[in-house]
Amino acid sequence: MAAILHRRSFRDFDWLLALLATAIVAFGTWQIYNAQPDPASTYWQKQLIGLGLALIAMLAVAFTDYRKVVHVAPAFYVFGLLLLVIVLIPGIGIKVNGQRAWIGVPLVGQFQPSEFVKIPTVLMLVLYFSKARHHALTWKEILTGIGILAAPVGLILLEPDAGQAITYFPLLAIVLFLSAVRIRLVIAAIVLGLVAVPAAYTVGVASGKIKGYQQERIKVILDPSSADPRGYGYHTIQSMVTIGKGGLTGSRADSEYSQSRLKFLPEPHTDFIFAVTAENTGFAGSLLLLFAYALLLSRLITGAKRAPDRMGMLVIMAIVGGLAFQVFINVGMTLGLLPVIGVPLPLMSAGLSSVLATFIAIGFAISVQLRRFVN
Amino acid sequence: MKFEDDSQNLRLRIRVIQVLVILLLSVLGVRLYLLQVVKGDYYTARAENQRIRLLPIPAPRGVIFDRNGNILVDSRPIYNVILSREDVKGKDFAALVEPLSEGLGIDPDYLRERLQQLRFQPAFESARIKENATPADMAWVEAHALEYPELRVEAQPQRRYPDGGLLAHVLGYVGEISQAQLESPAYKEKGYKPGDIIGREGLEAVYDSYLRGRDGYQKVVVDSRGHIRDTIEKVEPQPGQDIVTTIDIEIQLAAEEQLRNSASKRGVIIAMDPNNGEVLAMASYPTFDPNLFSQRITTKEGRAEYAAMLKDPRTPLYNRAIQGRYPPGSTWKIPMAAAGLMQGAITLDHSNLSCGGGITIGNKFTRCMGHHGSPDLRVAIMKSCDGYFYRLGLKMELEGIMKMVDDFDLNKRTGVDLPHELISWTPSRELKARVTPRDPEWRDIDTVYASFGQVYDFITPLAMLRSIAGIAVGGKLFVPHLLREARAVSEVGPLAYRQAQTFDRPNPKLVSISKEHYQAVVKGMWAVVNDAGTAARIRFAGFDIAGKTGTAQVVRLGKDVGENKDHAWFIAFAPAYKPEIAVLALIENVGFGGTHAAPAARAVFDVYYKQTRDEDPEPQIAMKSTGANRNSIP
Repeated sequence: MAAILHRRSFRDFDWLLALLATAIVAFGTWQIYNAQPDPASTYWQKQLIGLGLALIAMLAVAFTDYRKVVHVAPAFYVFGLLLLVIVLIPGIGIKVNGQRAWIGVPLVGQFQPSEFVKIPTVLMLVLYFSKARHHALTWKEILTGIGILAAPVGLILLEPDAGQAITYFPLLAIVLFLSAVRIRLVIAAIVLGLVAVPAAYTVGVASGKIKGYQQERIKVILDPSSADPRGYGYHTIQSMVTIGKGGLTGSRADSEYSQSRLKFLPEPHTDFIFAVTAENTGFAGSLLLLFAYALLLSRLITGAKRAPDRMGMLVIMAIVGGLAFQVFINVGMTLGLLPVIGVPLPLMSAGLSSVLATFIAIGFAISVQLRRFVN
Repeated sequence: MKFEDDSQNLRLRIRVIQVLVILLLSVLGVRLYLLQVVKGDYYTARAENQRIRLLPIPAPRGVIFDRNGNILVDSRPIYNVILSREDVKGKDFAALVEPLSEGLGIDPDYLRERLQQLRFQPAFESARIKENATPADMAWVEAHALEYPELRVEAQPQRRYPDGGLLAHVLGYVGEISQAQLESPAYKEKGYKPGDIIGREGLEAVYDSYLRGRDGYQKVVVDSRGHIRDTIEKVEPQPGQDIVTTIDIEIQLAAEEQLRNSASKRGVIIAMDPNNGEVLAMASYPTFDPNLFSQRITTKEGRAEYAAMLKDPRTPLYNRAIQGRYPPGSTWKIPMAAAGLMQGAITLDHSNLSCGGGITIGNKFTRCMGHHGSPDLRVAIMKSCDGYFYRLGLKMELEGIMKMVDDFDLNKRTGVDLPHELISWTPSRELKARVTPRDPEWRDIDTVYASFGQVYDFITPLAMLRSIAGIAVGGKLFVPHLLREARAVSEVGPLAYRQAQTFDRPNPKLVSISKEHYQAVVKGMWAVVNDAGTAARIRFAGFDIAGKTGTAQVVRLGKDVGENKDHAWFIAFAPAYKPEIAVLALIENVGFGGTHAAPAARAVFDVYYKQTRDEDPEPQIAMKSTGANRNSIP
């Protein structure tokens, strides 16, 4: 029996998904190596170690029945919230760039709870919305969903890490959308968003709630040519210069004088890893990377369609929403389409927490697929 | 789908998400195409612009020599402590004041002021915080490189001028290019940039284009903080062209000594070769120290010194040779005499005019200083008979005087290669109307005044010297000049060879005056010194000086004492009939020309004589000559 299961698992295991994710991390590690201004830094080695740990975690999750995990989601969820509280305590939480978002762990270094808590949040949402649906979503259900999201988002905003907080919203949006939320509510939300965002910005500027540097970051998107290249427009402009410089096939010839080596590009190995990729591999390489993401996401969506139950489908689609949103926000930021927000590019940016959390999510997706014929 | 959902079309909703995901990724792809493929070249150039920097290597400015190869001005390297911008971003300036002022010995107030300025200067690259750093300062900067990475030491050539203001008005000085100059098209064309050192006065300004070298540069790769990572290319600077002036430093020293020791310590002495216009000496007193402008003007004390000089009533910054307008007094009689002959108002055979002890026009008597009977031209010049020249002027009339002025270029700039030369004021109906608007009509009395170098004659010393030197060589008015040669400079890398240059207007203005006519004037001038003339005291056996004294009234007769004493003039050349050197001496407010100016000129002749004749000149006679050689005219 065990042998049969084993053989079947081997056959049904989504190798393509796992390989694709691993390939992106490997490609990313090469870019992290390219990005290092200081030859002595060890980000790329750490990333490889992270990949090893992530693969182990992915396998462990993949071979665990997701249904069992979802059923204990409240425990994970509460534990996650606890981590988000602990990280706020000075002395335990480590402050980097003004954000108290990291917890030090012996041997591993430090990890970022807000990256991991996405998973229990997804599981909690899925648990609540996974019952077979017979009618449209009620207001009570919607409000409960908002409540589940609000707790971690609120805590993350206390760090304060607006970038991470934003990445939580698509999780709820996807789950609500696939749980028979009325289309007119969806349309209302979109219209409200289109009206409220500029309105909120205007009110925010007028009331002084939106700080000067935040305004600058938005202005540089709307009109990059008139932004102060030494001021808050610096990140966006340098990122665009770095990407543009890559041209069609990349500018590896003068890699010694690359934008990141000369420190013109800020945070090259984390938030702006896409710019490094674009500089080194050009349009060809960065388009290939976007294709890889498209393939990965399509593969996940296919998996969702084949899921044995609502629960599995919701788990995968929430992951799709989270990943797609993060890719768009990060790459859009480096391309000067969106303001600068500290969101890592999944699988590419250096950072153990991000890689590990993403691979655990993919592990869940594989777990769902492994059980598609077992009812 | 393994399960059904009867509350919604789940399959469609998943498809919507899928399409949305692909759509968002496509947006990114299109934007990527725009940035990398469409605008790739633009961003490549932008990236290169921000990492490639050209660091100028300042070229040494040409050296200025005198005609015998003595160095007048050169440059030496000095070291400045520079604060670079990139490294002080976000730093607390106030915290820098104490350690830097202590370590480098800078006045803390000055430093605070300087740093405060930087704060409001958004685009500064770097700023000098200490000029002329000592070896100890440089060692301190090096030793504290880790604590203050924003500091560095930069070499810069600095101009060094002779001590004591020697030749200051001629040499001029250099300074940092001004904002106004940077904005003017003429300077823009030549490629000047902020911070450039440029000639601002004197020869430094006029021949800036010869003297200035061509800066080299270093093409470097810098990182975002401006730290140099690599040097890609280095082009050595090409020094500027050395300039050999016409100045003879020994004559210049003698001239300045005469002015320094004069009673009023104010005046001009010019020595010139009448055969080509080369200026051998040009001294104007009081003088100033040009090093103030090249070395100290950025300091508080330097600025105070400059402000004081601007207010000084003795106007030390003016080059009196070309910026002073003086009544020429009796020296005016020389061009008058020449013009009288040229215009036929007098002839060689009938040059006698009455002295009359003066002249009465209407009810006004204008006196002569003596009673000379009816002298001929020679005696009239020798004795400086005013009565003679009143009558000559009346014969020439205003038109004749104006023609003389025009012939001898007294109403024009001489064209000397120095900046800010003024144009003299000469007699005309317009001048009279301007001076006395209540009585604008030109009358005979005005002609009388105009003919003896008063009231309507305000001439720059150089213009006066040029006209008389021109008469001395038979009507050839050379343009006085100071440039003998700008030496060639060989090519350096891509910087092309620069060829030697000489003064660009070597040809004289020709005034047609016959030999007999000008020699008759010279004969009178010879008698001034060598006969019973007004400058007989400076007679020099073996070196025939021909000259004319002048004593120019500054105020009305009777008030000419103390500060308002007459200006003393003496204009001469030697040897009289084959002149090699012409000298002008003008001492302000000291009295008689023969007593004060002539001996000063004689001292200049002495130096020249010693140089060219290789023997000591006979000493000056201390007492006034008795006129014993009355009949020894050649």
